[in-house]
Amino acid sequence: MSTFFDVAHYDGQKAVKRKVEVQVVGPQFYLLENERCTGPFAFADVAYVTKQGEADVYGLTGHDGWRLILSGPVPSDLKGLLPAPRRYGGWVDRLGIGKAVIAFALTSAAAVAVVLFSPQWLAPLIPDSVDDRLGDALVGDFGGRFCHTPAGDAALQKLVASLDDAPQDLRVEVANIDMLNAVALPGGNVILFDGLLKQARSPDEVAGVLAHEIGHVRERHVMQALLRQMGLAVVLGGVDGNKGAMVNNLLAMSYSRNAEAEADAHSMQALGSANILPVGTASFFDRLAQLDGSEGAVKDNIGITSYLSSHPLSASRKDAFEKSIVKGKNYKPALTPSEWTELKTMCAQDRKAKSGFGFDFN
Amino acid sequence: MNNEQLQTHSAFRFHGSWQEFARIAFPNLLLTIVTLGIYRFWATTREREYLWGKTDFIDERLEWTGRGMELFIGFIMVFLLIGLPFIVIQLVSQGLIFQGLPVLAGLLTFAMFLSLFYLTGLAYFRALRYRLSRTYWRGIRGGSDDPGFQYGLSYMWKTVLGWLPLFLMVPWAMISLWNDRWNAMSFGPHRFSANAQWTPLMKRYLLFYLVPFLIFVGAVIFGMSMAASGGTPDALGGTGMAVGGVLAIVAVLAFYIMLPLAALLFYSKYFRMAVGGLRLHTLEFEFRARAVDWVLFFLANMAIIICTLGIGYIFMPYRNWKFFVEHMEAYGEINIDELTQSQTVVEKHGEGLLDAFDVGAI
Ligand SMILES: [Zn+2]
Repeated sequence: MSTFFDVAHYDGQKAVKRKVEVQVVGPQFYLLENERCTGPFAFADVAYVTKQGEADVYGLTGHDGWRLILSGPVPSDLKGLLPAPRRYGGWVDRLGIGKAVIAFALTSAAAVAVVLFSPQWLAPLIPDSVDDRLGDALVGDFGGRFCHTPAGDAALQKLVASLDDAPQDLRVEVANIDMLNAVALPGGNVILFDGLLKQARSPDEVAGVLAHEIGHVRERHVMQALLRQMGLAVVLGGVDGNKGAMVNNLLAMSYSRNAEAEADAHSMQALGSANILPVGTASFFDRLAQLDGSEGAVKDNIGITSYLSSHPLSASRKDAFEKSIVKGKNYKPALTPSEWTELKTMCAQDRKAKSGFGFDFN
Repeated sequence: MNNEQLQTHSAFRFHGSWQEFARIAFPNLLLTIVTLGIYRFWATTREREYLWGKTDFIDERLEWTGRGMELFIGFIMVFLLIGLPFIVIQLVSQGLIFQGLPVLAGLLTFAMFLSLFYLTGLAYFRALRYRLSRTYWRGIRGGSDDPGFQYGLSYMWKTVLGWLPLFLMVPWAMISLWNDRWNAMSFGPHRFSANAQWTPLMKRYLLFYLVPFLIFVGAVIFGMSMAASGGTPDALGGTGMAVGGVLAIVAVLAFYIMLPLAALLFYSKYFRMAVGGLRLHTLEFEFRARAVDWVLFFLANMAIIICTLGIGYIFMPYRNWKFFVEHMEAYGEINIDELTQSQTVVEKHGEGLLDAFDVGAI
């Protein structure tokens, strides 16, 4: 049994400061103040509270405001019974600051890597039903902006069927929006904008772009990009509040360079098995690049990103399409001239389809 | 010695030094960086432990008992219960705009804005409650039994009412909300009473309110008198242009200097009135910083941040606390025997959900 003198004590009931002696009996202790004796208290219940100037302050679990304030050098046999002071917090104190910094830095680097690469790993895990529902929620009937005529629908259906083995789980629509763009969205939705159809000189050109977007759907790039966007929003601690910017982002949902290459490969393969000449797509890309300076700039002014800003054009991309031509192969046009005219003029014919966006972007 | 008569020196004294604080702040900065910001909750806690522990009230140190884990858990809960639903709502309203339903999207966004508005008010209340419940003096703490839900509503309608008459009632709203907040708080067995007046603030508020207008009128009058004395613009020629340029620069400078100055002038009065209306049982409080002190304080802060290329930012909590404590004053007497433990609830898991919205000091 040993006793220590002159320890300041608050009982947590009243603000009166007491000078007490600590009497240690095994794993317990008593507090003596003149004739009064309180306790026993278990050392196991003692918790480190804070450093107060030079003094270490201890509390007692379950006793609000109960304090033992030890200032000056604490005898080593008492010190051994009291909990260690807290400096940086649990883990850091246990590891030591140097090791903790290294461990945290490595963990952080791993976490950043997971956020950057997890979309590829997570996207296949998202069930189709979720993908479909998300697509319906985002696209719906596009505010009545989809164009339909019997002949135009038939032409589009033929084009899709020639480019994909399972056209029933794709939903390809033409939107009455004068914009040089095409997008793949969740739920197998692919939207061709009327502006793109108007710019195209042959159905082969549209086929290449369409097959590229179908490639994004089939390779599950859409969900990856969406996850990446959401993940980044979460990591950066907020979502951009600007509605125009968000819709714009959705339209320009950018894919990685890798994904673009995969979609191009998918497109070339689909064109090949449909016996459609890939040279049309190559020349279309070429013209898009020239247009980008004039018309594309105008489009950007109203806050809508053009196809090229989401699909950066490189010479190698165009070359790849040109090189995928197989000599001697029996290529045929993607659509007959009359089918092509019907598709191209579908939005002009469909009076019921609403045009433009009908809401303010900025 | 149970009746603590306040001495001639201030009831509040601060013994900290910036060198000591630096030994806390720099490791905090390092740990915060390597943990991608997660350590900041523990960093805040360590800084407060130091600042509170170096602050005397009458004859005893203050004690900060909040824990980093509490803030962290609060943050996670806020993220799961508020942040995540908000991201989903953002996505949904984005989809609604996409589908041409901007009205519905607008309503959804408005509802989101309203709930954020409400939660901000709640957060102010909860932050104050959290700080009081974690602040001990002589083993006694503060707190409140009011969860603050009612205050959240008051915050909404009083803020809006303050804005409605061309923002002229803002001082009323600020003071009224301050009083509401503090009237719900207590320390030990005693309830705070706050009855600060708002009308004495109006003179300085109007000054702040009229500064842009006065500068504009001043510039116009000056310009006109120049034109009148200088004759025709032709005769003035180059000098006229130069004078005009100088005038514009002076007006812009006046705007950027006068406006913050007027704002500080108002804020210093606001804080003096607000603290001056505060009572705790037999104690009265005073905040003695005048406008000049605030101006010098801010200029020094700016100088420190600029001269250290931004690193000085980590000393701002120290400077703020020091400024606050050194200008606080209390009058009256405390009966230590009467000061018994607070019976207010302390949530077991540290604190409830919204204390993580740890917004500004009192
Ligand atoms: Zn693409």
